[in-house]
Amino acid sequence: MDLAYQYSCLISLTVADLKLTWREKSAWLTTALFACAALLIYSFALDLASGIVVSLLPGVIWTVFLFAGIFSASQSFHADRENGVLDALRISPVHPTIVYLSKTISNFVQLAAIQIPVLLGATVLFNEDIFQINIIMIVLLGTLGYCSLTTLLSALSFGSKSTNLMLPVMALPLLVPLLIACVEATASVLDDTPDGAPWMMLLVLFAIWTTLISALMFPLAD
Amino acid sequence: MNLNTLYNLRWTVLPPVVGVAITVMAGLALVSAPTEVVEGDVQRLLYVHLPSALASYLSFGITAVCSALFLITRDFKWDAGAQAAALVGLIFTALTLITGALWGRPIWGVYWQWDPRITTTLILFLIFAAYLVARKSSELDNERIARFCSVYAIIGFLDVPLIHMSVRWWRTLHPQPIVSRLDPALPTEMLLVTLFSVTAVLLVAVWFIVLGVEIELLSQRLLKIKGRVR
Repeated sequence: MDLAYQYSCLISLTVADLKLTWREKSAWLTTALFACAALLIYSFALDLASGIVVSLLPGVIWTVFLFAGIFSASQSFHADRENGVLDALRISPVHPTIVYLSKTISNFVQLAAIQIPVLLGATVLFNEDIFQINIIMIVLLGTLGYCSLTTLLSALSFGSKSTNLMLPVMALPLLVPLLIACVEATASVLDDTPDGAPWMMLLVLFAIWTTLISALMFPLAD
Repeated sequence: MNLNTLYNLRWTVLPPVVGVAITVMAGLALVSAPTEVVEGDVQRLLYVHLPSALASYLSFGITAVCSALFLITRDFKWDAGAQAAALVGLIFTALTLITGALWGRPIWGVYWQWDPRITTTLILFLIFAAYLVARKSSELDNERIARFCSVYAIIGFLDVPLIHMSVRWWRTLHPQPIVSRLDPALPTEMLLVTLFSVTAVLLVAVWFIVLGVEIELLSQRLLKIKGRVR
């Protein structure tokens, strides 16, 4: 396998995917709007504006990201399958792992871009200093672990009429350790307590584990 | 003994062996095993709880191995093995959770505790429940859904070491392992009954898996015949 060629393919595929996503605004705009609406709904349902918000806020933020991400992941292979791009890539010299990695990076960038305004919005709405470097690190690590897993599952389940139903049912149980680690790590930063280190370690392990295992499994399953 | 020999014993040797083992296990657990001084008779649930947990690990392990073999060979007999073992694993995980809750109520005062090991077992249950739901409800073609579920099963199974180790990683209400260590903390009589119960329940699990494989192979044949008729 020519590594330089595969690397250039990875860059080209990722850039192409991001360009297509940017042009077809419906998917990421819908996801971003869903995330903002969900944050508002949580705020009304749990009275986040008046109560003690610090203990609830990490859970609210991460459940919003989780559901918005599922929304986004279920669409990630839609255009590629419809236009026969995946079939074309299958007969090209591009390694399947490169296809998977390009899609994961593209999904990661999309979801991270959606999360920034949500974090900003939560900072303004709930008067909590959420937009800080430690939380951004947690968000990026959590998003990496999340995207690597949901991208694989989305690729595998796509084509079924019930993809939108199957993806959350299958992904959410696998994502529970990630959710717990993200919520606990975020809470420890907001509470300014030092017990976030093990959760950060779990987060890093989960991100590495899911990325590696998904990259290995994708060519086998394709 | 190879797998084919075991499969051929499914209607001859395995039923009486399993029947005798379970009857003896019930007798030992309910009558012969001494009553635990602190917990009383409720401790006898150990003889179902622990073997069920081990049977679920074994079953999910078989699912993962069969799934990997299916991905490598694309032979549907491995897929049948994966499906059968997943169902049996799910049944034993449910039994583990139920007996754990019944045991927890008088000892901890609650049916459920958000302890890491119990929570991870529940997650494992949900993962393989999703696996079976996807298998049965998806309208993807048989080969694609088999590939999808094989990958999913392997990833799901990698949660099992997390369950086993979690009791040592986090501070927990769940007791530390008492049997799977070099100096078991159980009295000898209890340890022997536990070991016999583990053997008996594992035999039941193996028999169920073998029967499940037969059902899956028959339904695969039926699908082929239906395909030819159409």
